[in-house]
Amino acid sequence: MGEVIVITSGKGGVGKTTTTANIGAGLSMLDKKVIIIDTDLGLRNLDVVMGLENFIVYNLVDVIEGKCRLKQALIRDKRYENLYLLPSAQTKDKTAVSPGQMKKLTSELKETYDYILLDCPAGIEQGFQNAIAGADRAVVVTTPEVSAIRDADRIVGLLEAEKIQKIDLIINRIRMDMVRRGDMMSVDDVTEILSIPLIGAIPDDEQVVIGTNQGEPVISMESKAGEAYRNICRRITGEEVSFLDLESGTGIWSRLTHIFHKN
Amino acid sequence: MARRSSVRIAKDRLKVLVVSDRMKCKPEAYERISHELYQVLAKYIEITPEEFEVSYSRTHVHIRLTGEKQ
Repeated sequence: MGEVIVITSGKGGVGKTTTTANIGAGLSMLDKKVIIIDTDLGLRNLDVVMGLENFIVYNLVDVIEGKCRLKQALIRDKRYENLYLLPSAQTKDKTAVSPGQMKKLTSELKETYDYILLDCPAGIEQGFQNAIAGADRAVVVTTPEVSAIRDADRIVGLLEAEKIQKIDLIINRIRMDMVRRGDMMSVDDVTEILSIPLIGAIPDDEQVVIGTNQGEPVISMESKAGEAYRNICRRITGEEVSFLDLESGTGIWSRLTHIFHKN
Repeated sequence: MARRSSVRIAKDRLKVLVVSDRMKCKPEAYERISHELYQVLAKYIEITPEEFEVSYSRTHVHIRLTGEKQ
């Protein structure tokens, strides 16, 4: 029986879609059968981040409205075995799907897939209600900024009110140089305010942008952010993994400078 | 460097925002709540303001009487 995980944040632009793409790819690399669903009706993104935008035939709304069978709408990712994408509709609005319909769809998918990941739209309106309707657990994504943390706190409150049992936190785009000079909240600062378990912290890494440009999830690239995502995926499956040292880079140059700094 | 760390400011602002969101009240209201809770307790227990602290989680209001930092 699979698990339905909603990736949500409240505020837009903090990295929900990138996180969904990477966790989806990462879990499939751990031999799990995964489906990622873009629930942002009208603003389809996940397919683009995954580099699968040219393979769309049908979408989530077509499946819900019975215009096609589920299998016809799924896009299989050739790079990752057992990873499937159900894209969103670009032309429909957020009322085209109801929470009840989403719940029914996800409960059917649980029989075939190990993980069903839902990329939630920003905001707390119907799109959010749809995305959380069938969720067993949630991953809340935030960045170390006042507005993003405030929104994340409200989202956690709403998820708790919906009786979602497990809510974990991802802090995205950490810049250790700024944390060190007291100009960016640290992982501990953010975790303390939100008071939910931390499942990962991702450094602000250019490789993420490069990956998004190419439609290639950063998780399969040699990078600090990729490593952070790989660890998050292992933690999602229940494995205990110690947290990365975000101070050190992965390149030879940053390793060298790190050694010099130490001395 | 005399400049106040911007993290300090961010955390202070967030504390106010998050608590008023959680309590669904204005920032002034929760300061008054804290003050009145102190007055009620001070009627029955010997405490000083330094030994008293109120914090708000999403589901609970916590009153600490020792004032000691955890």
